[in-house]
Amino acid sequence: MNGARLQRRSRTRGARRSGSRFLRLIQSRHRYVPGTVFAIAAKDLRVEARGRYAAGMAVPFAATLLIAFGLSLGPGRTLLEATAPGLLWLAVLFAATLLARRAWEAEAEDGALEGLVLAPVDKSAVFAGKAVALSVQLLALEVAVLAMVAVLFGLPVAGNPPVLAAALVLGTIGLAGVSSLFGVLAVMPRSREAVLPLLVMPVATPALIAGVKATALATAGRGGDAGAWLGLLAAFDLVLVAAGLLVFEQLVED
Amino acid sequence: MGRAGAAAAAVSLSRLTRVFGTQPAIVGVDLSVQRGSVVLLRGPNGAGKSTLLRVIATALTPTYGGGSVLGFDLVRERDQVRRRTELLGHHTRLYEDLTAVENLRFACALYGADARRVAEALERVGLAEVGGERVAGFSHGMRQRLALARGLLRGPELLLLDEPYAGLDGAAKAMVDQVVLAARTAGHTVVLATHEPVREGLVTATVSMEAGRVLREPAMAPEPVR
Repeated sequence: MNGARLQRRSRTRGARRSGSRFLRLIQSRHRYVPGTVFAIAAKDLRVEARGRYAAGMAVPFAATLLIAFGLSLGPGRTLLEATAPGLLWLAVLFAATLLARRAWEAEAEDGALEGLVLAPVDKSAVFAGKAVALSVQLLALEVAVLAMVAVLFGLPVAGNPPVLAAALVLGTIGLAGVSSLFGVLAVMPRSREAVLPLLVMPVATPALIAGVKATALATAGRGGDAGAWLGLLAAFDLVLVAAGLLVFEQLVED
Repeated sequence: MGRAGAAAAAVSLSRLTRVFGTQPAIVGVDLSVQRGSVVLLRGPNGAGKSTLLRVIATALTPTYGGGSVLGFDLVRERDQVRRRTELLGHHTRLYEDLTAVENLRFACALYGADARRVAEALERVGLAEVGGERVAGFSHGMRQRLALARGLLRGPELLLLDEPYAGLDGAAKAMVDQVVLAARTAGHTVVLATHEPVREGLVTATVSMEAGRVLREPAMAPEPVR
């Protein structure tokens, strides 16, 4: 009886020891990760605030895109309302590639990217920091785009605000993840600028479709039916962010 | 060279080759740099000096061969190498939209250096007065000095300088010399690649390169500063 108890206790201690060893390993490997993510995101947002690239480039681009589509579709209110969610997400997707390219160009201008590579930090933190900063910029941009589609296309944005907000936040995380992951390829030596949209567009398609569907349901006052699309967005985010954290180092290291 | 010998040397390379596409940049380099020494890399353009420095800094991976830096393997233990090494190359790696102080604070966050050393580093390179100004308004020389200040933040055991005098005036060149001498006094190692004449007594050994090959190994014992 005592022997069995001692054996159990010993096994529990062993499991605790290996568990704490595992935790220590994770902690030592990711010692500076939260700080690094924050530092990179804060740096990117500060650079954006100073340079106003989103305000000066992405917002006018989104406005031009929406107006051009609005004019090409004609004055039919029903058609405009029906296409508004799709146009909203197209504007966000194109803006995401623009902003991601700009964010990585800032790293490439004076060799700063090499500085990030040579820094003794987990490279996944660099990816996460860039994605966080891009998400914040995109969410700010979406407020402007949402106002534009409400005015230009008559989209009833007050249909189901919580579901609409969830769709925008989840979709933004996914698009920011894809754009940040592939954005670095656009500024690598021997790569071409066109590589970014060519890579981002196909991979982002599931998020684009789910975002459009969830937005359409939310604005039509049928937010309760959007659960599956929100689930798809969340799954897309999980897969993309995990892939980004895992493969980013392979992309940036020589 | 054995493990003990490699650990004693700051840099120990064995038959190191780096190829870009089909073009070899450095070929079969054997090199040993003693700790505490200041080694000057000489050679014409395209000799492979910059590539060699970037391989030592782990910015580039060797195509063939290998080596160790400060006792750590160049490929398998590159994070350990990076913690102890600073490369100042052709690019200053600064962010134009940030101020000098913000650039250094960001470097502190990346390298885990003490942010309280920022003011001292700026003082040492003569940029204390313009610490709050954006780098976009800085001259080439000021940017070089700021990059040097970033290198000073964590006192790297191995300082790799690639053309550090390029575009600098006399005072700034003297500042670079002071940083090199201070590193040597602290027992740190410096590898310096430049086309320009260097101050007498600054370096302890010279390595010549041509067409990607090392022509002459450095002397092992560091000489006293004259």
